[in-house]
Amino acid sequence: MGARRPRAGFFKFTCCSGCGFELAYFQRCLEETLAAFDFAFFRLASSSGTPEGPFDLSLVEGAVTEPFQIIELKKIRQRSKVLYAIGSCAITGGIPAIKALAPEAQVEGAAYKERLYGLASTRPHVINDYVQVDGFIRGCPPGERDLFEALSSALMGKDPEFTEYSVCMECKMADNKCVLVEEGLPCMGPVTNAGCGALCPAHHRACYGCFGLMGQANIHALKGRFRELGHFSEEDIENRFFTLFGALGKTERK
Amino acid sequence: MTGVNASQRNYRVILPENALARWLEWLGGFYTLTGPVGGGVAARFTEISKFEQMDLDYQSTMLPPGKKYLFEPVEEVLSFDVSEGVFSSGPYPPGRKRALIGVHPCDVNAILYLDMVFLSGPYADPFYRARRENTFIIALNCKSVTGLCFCHLVGAGPYLKAVSGYDILLTEIGEEEGAERRGGKNRKFMVELVSEKARELCDVFPFSMGEQPEEKDFEKMSRMEAALLKSFRKNLDMEGVQSALLSRPDHHALKETADSRCLSCSNCVMVCPTCFCHDVMDKTDVSLSRSRRVRRWDACQDISFAQVHGGNFRAQRHARLRQFVYHKLDYEEQFGRKGTVGCGRCIRWCPTGIDLTEIARAMME
Repeated sequence: MGARRPRAGFFKFTCCSGCGFELAYFQRCLEETLAAFDFAFFRLASSSGTPEGPFDLSLVEGAVTEPFQIIELKKIRQRSKVLYAIGSCAITGGIPAIKALAPEAQVEGAAYKERLYGLASTRPHVINDYVQVDGFIRGCPPGERDLFEALSSALMGKDPEFTEYSVCMECKMADNKCVLVEEGLPCMGPVTNAGCGALCPAHHRACYGCFGLMGQANIHALKGRFRELGHFSEEDIENRFFTLFGALGKTERK
Repeated sequence: MTGVNASQRNYRVILPENALARWLEWLGGFYTLTGPVGGGVAARFTEISKFEQMDLDYQSTMLPPGKKYLFEPVEEVLSFDVSEGVFSSGPYPPGRKRALIGVHPCDVNAILYLDMVFLSGPYADPFYRARRENTFIIALNCKSVTGLCFCHLVGAGPYLKAVSGYDILLTEIGEEEGAERRGGKNRKFMVELVSEKARELCDVFPFSMGEQPEEKDFEKMSRMEAALLKSFRKNLDMEGVQSALLSRPDHHALKETADSRCLSCSNCVMVCPTCFCHDVMDKTDVSLSRSRRVRRWDACQDISFAQVHGGNFRAQRHARLRQFVYHKLDYEEQFGRKGTVGCGRCIRWCPTGIDLTEIARAMME
């Protein structure tokens, strides 16, 4: 490793800061991470620091829901050698994208007692709608495996190998009971990108897809299976795929 | 079971279940006892301390016992630490010896298949070999057949025909007359000591607790096997399947099944007792001084499985599904036998119930 530590920045848009917290809470190697990188900007860890670049590595969490964020995001991209979207909000829209299911004014009216006419809130967007992204550290919050892969790859100057398979793989490798086949729960595991270590199925809960759909997710095949389970309405099934973590998918389908 | 010679018979005894239980628990002093817990088709091989924890009436498990314990899902094969100059080639051989109790014939045959993968050729896998040598396999002939079983089509069951590669073969051959055990009948098992390792244990084997099998016992076993063979519901022309598959790689049955039902979730591969593909990756610490090389089960259904420099040669879903079906029912050139042992797990654990024998049947029409 050279004398200069890579300069890293962590940027937040509309989200719960859970991804930043996950990095700050990176138990297994927090100390090493802070020693290996020069975190020039990471508001959750330090109130000092500057968002001015250049950055060797930038991590961006959150969805874009306000116009000024678009300008900031473009600046971050220009100042960053490598930029990864981190977390479901930045990658799939996540929780903030739920508001895409209703007209903007209606959402604002429900959220604020009086209409704030100065509010310049927009439809939710994922960050690669606006800038080129070098990779996706998926999850809500991200799994340690992909976060670790991103950081160590940045230090080694190689392309990271992010998880690209279903939650079922992790579930089977842990010999978990299959909540879909054995218990008939509407588990999203077969179409959801892995990385969480099959956390919910390991606790007898159906996966609800917080890591987002994996590549080539065969949605209609799994919908068909949920129909066969017999106790879900068409609306239930639709909501399973297109509310919590798939709201943007629903608007795109209209 | 006719044609058994006298010397072979010396290694056979009929034991009541309570004697078998006591002997197995004694074996627990040397081996970590591992057997099927929870019954039906979703039993699970688990470490046990008491014979009663096992359900020897179980029909199947999700993860196959051989694959779970001999070819572990994730294992470290190498590690090094630059800062300390320490280099180690993984934690093998495994610490404790393990006895797998109640392994069905299909799963024993699957272990023999994995042996060909990991032990044949110039480079035997040291991790697999170490675990294999430390594993004592007690096979159990089946007493029932599920609707998804097709081991009879490939000679992998329901009774075990292999004569080596495992240690003991058990067959339940009825109940002891007049001897009620607490909580149920006391069943009787034909116990065959197959391997040298098993025969060396004869000194302490409770022969006195059992009885020498007679001709009528072998006849009874033959009758039970014949009855089992009649109870299979799955059928497929295994002779004709290879040419049908090879000549029609773009058959609509593959494409239609892939489009309408295949999730590419890889459950079929994960639960397959003969699927041996694995990925090897390095996990380097952020300090860049320590690194671990890890081997993990991989699956041909994953979108990135066939991603190589220049492209993905199985980018389409049906191409990946075809790879699985062909590897199980065709591709005999690889190891001189088909990749399937007919356990039916890939059908049972597929979230949408895709049946490779149905695809093959459609392709043969």
